[in-house]
Order: sequence, then C-alpha cells, then structure tokens
Amino acid sequence: MAEADRPKSTNDPCRVVVTAAGVVSPLGFGLAETLESLRCARDCVTPVMRFSVTQCRCKTAGQISDLRLLARHAQIPRSGRLHRASYMMIHALQELVTQQPEFEPELTVIGTTSGGMSYGERYYRSLNGAADLRHAPTWIANYPAQKPVIDAQTAFDISAPCHVIANACASGTNAIGHAFECVRSGRYKRVLAGGYDALAEMVFVGFDSLQASTPEKCRPFDRLRSGMVLGEGAAVVALENLELARKRGAPVLAEIIGYGISTDNFHITQPEPSGIGARQAMERALDGAQISPADVDYINAHGTATVFNDATEGKAIRALFNGVPVSSTKSMMGHSLGAAGAIEAVVSLLALQHQFLPANINYTASDDDVDLNIVANEARPAAVNVALSNSFGFGGTNASLLMRRLEA
Amino acid sequence: MSLAIAGMGWVTPLGTGVDSVWERLLQGEEASATTISEKLVDRVYSVFRVPESALKGISHPRLRRASAISRFAAAAGLHALESAGLKLESQNAERMALIFAISNGGVTYTKRFYHEIVGTGAQAASPLLFPETVFNAPASHLAAILGVTGATYTLVGDGAVGLAAITMAEELMANEALDYCLVVGTEEIDWLLCDAYRRWRLLRTAPPIEPFSKQNRGMILSEGAGAILLARDGFVTIERAHPGGHFRRRAEAEKILKRILRDLGQIEIDFVISSANGTFVDQAESQALQEIVSNAPAYTFKPALGESVGAAGLWQIIVAAQALHSKELPPVLHADHSVRLLLSLSRTPIAGARRAIVLSCGLNQQAAGLRLAIQ
Repeated sequence: MAEADRPKSTNDPCRVVVTAAGVVSPLGFGLAETLESLRCARDCVTPVMRFSVTQCRCKTAGQISDLRLLARHAQIPRSGRLHRASYMMIHALQELVTQQPEFEPELTVIGTTSGGMSYGERYYRSLNGAADLRHAPTWIANYPAQKPVIDAQTAFDISAPCHVIANACASGTNAIGHAFECVRSGRYKRVLAGGYDALAEMVFVGFDSLQASTPEKCRPFDRLRSGMVLGEGAAVVALENLELARKRGAPVLAEIIGYGISTDNFHITQPEPSGIGARQAMERALDGAQISPADVDYINAHGTATVFNDATEGKAIRALFNGVPVSSTKSMMGHSLGAAGAIEAVVSLLALQHQFLPANINYTASDDDVDLNIVANEARPAAVNVALSNSFGFGGTNASLLMRRLEA
Repeated sequence: MSLAIAGMGWVTPLGTGVDSVWERLLQGEEASATTISEKLVDRVYSVFRVPESALKGISHPRLRRASAISRFAAAAGLHALESAGLKLESQNAERMALIFAISNGGVTYTKRFYHEIVGTGAQAASPLLFPETVFNAPASHLAAILGVTGATYTLVGDGAVGLAAITMAEELMANEALDYCLVVGTEEIDWLLCDAYRRWRLLRTAPPIEPFSKQNRGMILSEGAGAILLARDGFVTIERAHPGGHFRRRAEAEKILKRILRDLGQIEIDFVISSANGTFVDQAESQALQEIVSNAPAYTFKPALGESVGAAGLWQIIVAAQALHSKELPPVLHADHSVRLLLSLSRTPIAGARRAIVLSCGLNQQAAGLRLAIQ
C-alpha cells in the first residue's frame, strides 16, 4: 500500500461494511439455503460416516455432502488433488464473488484450526502400512493451513496476500475482527475475511477424549446439556470502507461496528470460571463500537453446550446484558471450530437483514446457573438492529464481533 | 508508521542468545547435524536440533507438559523482553499484543496423539496430548507466562509467515492503546516432517545446505525460535513490511520476489538477508536479486542453522538487525563460488550500512519482505 493511502490519524476511524458474503455449512450451500434452515430451525447434525467412530462417545456431527461439495471438479485446474476444505472455501468465495465481481481485496484474513488435517492422517496411516504412499506428495502439498485459502483465491484470480489465523475456536471471529480493524484504521480499503474447517478424525477423537463432545443432542445452555458436536464449513465476507463502497454503488449488507479480543490465561482447554475473559471481549467490542449493552438486540453465543463453557459464557452475558435474546446456532449445525466464528457472523448478518432471531434448538429445560433469554427451539421475527457474535477457544482466546443493520 | 526493535531473543541449534549465536555465525560456525529416526520406517534423516542446554533455566508450570515448540518460544520470548529491560506487570501487559508465527506446529505431540488412535483406537487417545496439538498452544503458554490479557494471535503459513506476523504487528500497533507487540516464530523437528519434505523433494538426507546451487539438492530442517519485541522507538526500525502475496506455481515465485524487491528497494539498500535454503527458492531469489538489487550483498544463514520454517523469518530479521548494528555480515557457508550474486563468502565488513531488506520465499506458495533501517 502506498504511504499516501494510509490513514492520516488513528483517531479518525473509517466505517466498515460487509458488501458480500458466502457460506457453506451443514445448514446449506449459500445464503439462501442457510436462511431457510435457520428459519426452519433445522437440525442438520447427522451420523458420522467419514471415519470410524465406534470407539467414540459421540457419533454425530454437522457435515457437508461431498456430492455437492465436489460437484465443481471440472471447472477447477488440478481439482482432483485438492482437500475438501479447499472446496468449502471455493464454494463460499464463489458466492461472494457472484455478488460482488468487482471486489478486489488488498488483504485476505482467514481463520482455521486444522487446515488439511485429514490428508495428514492419510499420510500417517499410509506410513503405518494402511495404504501405499503414491499420493503422499499430493497429501503433503495440500495439508498446509494456507492451501485452501490460496486455492480459493486462485480459482477466482484473487492475488491478495493472506494471513491465516489459527486461534483455535475463535479463529473465524478473530479473522473478521482483525480484518475489520485493518479497514477501520484506514490501512486497507477492502479485505476478504472468513474461516474454514473440515471435519477430521484426529480432531473429532481429540474432543471426544476430553469428553467435551456428547453422545446425545447438542443442547446449548440447557440444564441437561452434555457437550458439543463438531461441524464443518466455510464462510467469507467482503469488508470495505463504507464511503468507498457507497461511491462504487456496492450494496451494504451490514456494518461491523466493534471487535473485542481478550486472553484469559486460565487453562489451555477451560475458560476462566468467572467469565472475565468472555466479558472483556464483549466489553471491548462494545467500547470500540461506542454503544451500550442495551443497544444489542441479539447475541449469537459461542454456546458449545459443554457444561463449563456455557456456564462461563452465561455468567459473562448476564453480567453485561439484561434479557437480550441469545441463541447458539451450533445446536443446528455443530461446532465448525475455525469456521464457526465466520459462519456465525453470516448467521448474525442474516438475522440483521431478515429481522429474525435464529433458534437454539434441542432446548428442553432452563438452567438456573445460565439464566438467559434463550431463543428456544424456533426462530422468531424480531427487530434486530445490532447483533453480537461470540467465539471462545482453547488457549483462553476470546473474541466478540458487533454488527449493525444499515439501511441503504 | 515504522516500528522499532526493542528487544530480541534467539533459540537455535547454535545455542541461545542473540549475541552468542551472532558471534558464532560471524566465526563461520555451522550447527552440528544429528540423525533422527522412526521405529516404523527404516529411514534416517539429518537435522539441526536445539541442544538441551539451550533451555536451561526456563521453567513454568504451563511448560511442564508442553512440547518443545512451546519451550523454544517461551525461552525466546522471555529473552526478548529481558534484552529490552521490560518487566511486564498487569498494566503494561494489557498494552502488549502477542503474535506467533508457526508453520508445522506441535508435530511431535500431534503424531504421538494420532499414533495412539491408529495403533490402539480412539479410546486410547490422550486428553493430555490433544490440547498441545493445537496451533495456538505455544502462544497460549507464553501469554499465560507473561500475563498478556489482550490480543494474542497465531499466524500459520510457510517460511514467509514470520514476515507476515510483522505485517500483522504493524496493523495491530496502529492502535495507540498498544505500546508493544511481541512477535515469536517457532518450530520443532520431527522425523515425520523430514519424511514429508523429502517426499516433496525439498529435503536432502545429510548436510550441507548449498545455497544458490543450480542443483537444488535440498534443505536440512532445524528447530528453535526467534522473538522480536516491537515498540514505537528504537535503534533499528522496520521501515516497511511488505505483505507480499502468493505464487501459484514454483516457477512464478521469482515474479513476486521481484515485485517485493522493487517496492522495498526504491531507496538505497546495503544488503539483503535471503531465505535461500538449497531448494527452488534459491533460483527464484537469485534471479530476483540479480535483476533488482544487484549491488547489494546477500547473506543466508540456512547452511549454518538449517531451515527452521515458521521461525525462519524472525531469524532473518534478527540477523539483519545484528548486521546493521555490528556492520558485518557473516560468511555464507557452502556457497557455489561461481554464483553471479554478490555473496558475503567470508566475514564481510559493511561499514556505513543503513538499510537492509529481508526477503522470504516460503516452500508453500507464500512470499513476503521487509526493510530495516538503523538510525
């Protein structure tokens, strides 16, 4: 970026808007299918068939159909070699590019946790004699976390440098949040941001070994909650300087108004029990946006449905907000880790655009320790002008994103 | 906005400590290679490992079960703060961000964790190992040790990720609520990595690394960490971080490297710290350097210290800062004397040197650069 293009003062932040978005998740391919699933409060968690789960407590996940995912093979060079995560990114980016063909990002910021992990698994199993190693170079070349991002950019002739953030389950929100700050500061005019993750055996078994995943339904914030289910997917958003977006006549889907990040340093897998880390992230987002908690109309919670995580997030929300509607859409599609924050930002975007509250399904009984205004089991119409999306991850990393409806 | 280097920490196969490692590089020393093997497969690789003694005195409850990559990072990070004379307390810890640059991550624990799944089944999977397999585990440990409560990011990429982390630091430091950003690049070695890079035809089985050789005989992997504490004032500044970009095919690497050099080389450059490591990178960098900054001597530490992937970019910056400070370049080891580049083949004085470019071409399609200056 030329020196002249840089901001004159950090005291004069730019407004940042989302001008296009793309998503693929267990809820569907694209914004329209996702919206339909959200409105119907559809349970998209299904039995895992991709690898053996016979020895795991949990046997389900939110999954994306390979049949649809790989349908674009013929249009992409060397596509047979790509990891499914690349296809997820390609599908999501295709939707974004279709909406905004003129969007040329100067920077790409994408979150993930696992990259092409399943190719690493294949390679290791083959070394152990399970199969031949003829395809090993392909698996190795497509294993790195940045590869699906580069594949997707290549498919649409985007040449922006990419930052791949791996902040565990907060990665997607961190990616959009950092991209937001890059545009807000004036250093960049257009940034592509999002997240992806594809289901992998090692990660699935890992959460199972921690007894964080459940053999039952995923019931965030429910008194009977017993753990999470995993998911997968990808989502991307086009972030632009509002003034420049308006100048070129780009549609504005929503405005991003705040981002908060905190690190709570309590434990590598457990949140600080008082909820201070989660609370700080939300407070910082509110401070940055210069709004009060009363201005927030909906919270898309991290809500993994583990006993500790939901209790901690519940405490943090209760400490700041008074009766704001809350739901965890992971109940419908599972926890897609590095993609979760990005997919849930798109869910929040849809809530703002279409004026409804997405549901927290499988909800049976309220928990006195997590006394929240849960959007139980059914989506419902509501005036939603400001939405907050939370993501918290291993390593005590916490992130919150605030979005606002913006009339054209 | 330019950022300044306030402190540095270095953990390498040639030992720990910026001044000590630097002196050994100036003397033309090369790390001793050791071999690494795997029970299941009858194949041995040479690697440059961090000596056990290098981590003496680094202890913290969070590091008790932590992998080598986390311990390297903690040691380098703490050294960087110490060299800057910075003691973090709750107030200034809030004003510091932490960025990690990683390529392969905690591969040793990842392999061990998955090995149990493959060998015995999911029920044998260790809940203690799994959290250490996550990319941001090293950053989480160092954040806990330092008490950092604000922004902590782990960036993943190839050898250019260290420079991307500096770009990100610039972006974060645009926020005046921050006084410091600690950037740490770290990597650990495992047999599995060596085998993967060999299958990808990027690794040679024994030293030396022969930089800029037309044969591209391959690299030797190494491990360790580099940490740079960035502040707003200091002796050596990062004048400009160039985010670079990605190349689709190896043959296109040269083009993007030329663009980076052209952008960074608009003012007089005194030397270039290259990422040449005995692979395709060398030819791309060689061509770009010859065409764009042919008068500037080039240096690569990789024959002496090996290819540390995620840590390499930070090591390059440390080398550049030390060279600007000491006005000397170490000898490039095992270089082909017929190469048409201006290489520092012996310990070379660079009196009056004020500006350097750090150029990084990764093995997985990413490239970046930056320009350092001394006041």
